[in-house]
Amino acid sequence: MTALTIDRVNKRYGQLHILKDISIAIREGEFISLLGPSGCGKTTTLRCIAGFERPDSGRILFGTRDVTAALPEKRDIGMVFQSYALFPHMTVAENLAFGLEARKIAPDERKRRIGEVLSMVRLEGYEQRFPRELSGGQQQRVALARALVIEPSVLLLDEPLANLDATLRDEMRFFIRDLQQRVGITSVYVTHDQSEAMVMSDRIVVMNAGEIDQLGAPREIYERPASARVADFIGRSNTLQGEIAEALGGESYRIATSSGAIGAEGPSGLSVGAKVQVMIRPENIRIADTGEARHGDNLISGSVVKSIYQGNANQLSIRLASGDEMAVDVSGRTLIEPDAAISLRFAPGDAWLLAS
Amino acid sequence: MSAQAPARVESSGRGSGTWMVVPALALLVLFFALPYLSILTMSLREASTRAVYADGFTIAHYTTALGDGFIWGILGRTLMIGTIVTVLALLLGYPVAYHLARSRSRWTSLLYIFVLSPLLVGLVVRTFAWMIILSNNGVANQALRGLGLIDFPLQLMNNTLGVTIALTHVFLPFIILPLLGNLQAISPDLAMASRSLGASRLRTFLKVTLPLSLPGIQAGTILVFVLSISAYVTPAMLGGSGGRTMSVLVVQYLIDSFRWPAGAALAIIMASVAIIFVSLYLRLTARAMRRLP
Repeated sequence: MTALTIDRVNKRYGQLHILKDISIAIREGEFISLLGPSGCGKTTTLRCIAGFERPDSGRILFGTRDVTAALPEKRDIGMVFQSYALFPHMTVAENLAFGLEARKIAPDERKRRIGEVLSMVRLEGYEQRFPRELSGGQQQRVALARALVIEPSVLLLDEPLANLDATLRDEMRFFIRDLQQRVGITSVYVTHDQSEAMVMSDRIVVMNAGEIDQLGAPREIYERPASARVADFIGRSNTLQGEIAEALGGESYRIATSSGAIGAEGPSGLSVGAKVQVMIRPENIRIADTGEARHGDNLISGSVVKSIYQGNANQLSIRLASGDEMAVDVSGRTLIEPDAAISLRFAPGDAWLLAS
Repeated sequence: MSAQAPARVESSGRGSGTWMVVPALALLVLFFALPYLSILTMSLREASTRAVYADGFTIAHYTTALGDGFIWGILGRTLMIGTIVTVLALLLGYPVAYHLARSRSRWTSLLYIFVLSPLLVGLVVRTFAWMIILSNNGVANQALRGLGLIDFPLQLMNNTLGVTIALTHVFLPFIILPLLGNLQAISPDLAMASRSLGASRLRTFLKVTLPLSLPGIQAGTILVFVLSISAYVTPAMLGGSGGRTMSVLVVQYLIDSFRWPAGAALAIIMASVAIIFVSLYLRLTARAMRRLP
């Protein structure tokens, strides 16, 4: 069932077209990330859902209820901010009671729910503390509890981990994801951090300049990016220029590149002669004489320009005969001589076509 | 996950930089403490017709003043004007400060100039302007008569009304500026969080914004109150005898009647009352603000 529908929403600030016909359908209990660089419209989208921005056109539905014109306080949302936004003059318990009081929940029930949600975020016994007496991670857990205690229909999170240090951020990712799964609440998460979006989300909406570049599961977005822009934004990638030489049926193609003919996969329906880019992730390329070669693997030769040892991996920079450079990640144990001639191998399934 | 609160940051280098307060302190002692001390001694001297005061000491000026219903009346009026001006300035100034703190429009800088404008014109010039507006044949009365709303001119000056209007005008910036600094420091996220939790705009203001802006309200109201009760030029020019305040009375004692010790006693009484009022107010507001960081 669709819990939240964003239907052809447009938003302009003067000359700036911030949101261009954005449509997203979010399922009940789904965790969706809006991912993109700053200024891509992800925060504006979130604010339209929350009711702090009014779309110029388009509709926003919670279930079947049209909330496009509803005030934020009438929407039944829970919201978590980058700045935590805890009320500094109220204790943890008072912060949590705030939304319950606005909903006229009886004191007994209030107390029960506050206790329950505090144990969920593992902050039992912190009721009488003021926010200033808590660490950043604890404050964000209180903010999360405050948003959840009102049992909203949608949970909105605006870069909630951006102010935390790296270790805590990693921990909180799993904490939030786990909590979201347990509560089963439909969530929209805004972030510019692609690894955060990857590990937390059911689906990711990659946004750029007010448009949706791609909407899909993390694996789909990483392995089958819709454009070079998405491929660049999510992880590292190599691209080779080429032209479709032969369509092999389904998603399989044969591509003529300046480094020879290679097999690759791409969206079905590309026609012979079309200019394409072949995208290959560095970790999917192997050195030809290591491991087990499979029938149909592509082979490319080049020479090692640079090798950066990172302990668990060796990041190689390989210059191909065509002059293109390719990044290749191999095991840190692999010994590589600079300037050595080298032969690379990758499966056609790991080479993905982007229309250029 | 760490279950410990962050360590409190110790104020570093206790005593460092003490010398930096010396210039300001010297200035205060020289031009504030010493003159007050001299006024205090003057108020305890016997009156003289030949010099500013005679050699002997007496507390007669205090007992006379405190036994005089006329002086109590003027003291009461001064405090009343101060209170009304403060309340009016707060009611008028808060919305302006709030708007300035939240607005991102390019017209805000123009509003800033408007806010500061009472301070950009000299005190006397501005008070004359108010006389032109408020006198019996003034702009205000002519307009009201022109509209047929009144037959006889309203008494808008030479009473407390005129003084109150003019003082509110001139001291408005003194409440707007501290409030503005305070309101700007309150993250807009807090109001959004409140609304997302189901609180209306009004409830958000009363439960979140207003309590957090108490320090600005406190600073601004004290400034306006102290400035209002000690103002001289405005009540002297617009107050007449019906709007006479303590500062006007003190100057009349000193300059017109040449009663320096008695005038000094009045000044000390006024200052003491002001200190008592402000410290009571500080106590009261401190209670309201005890939960703030």
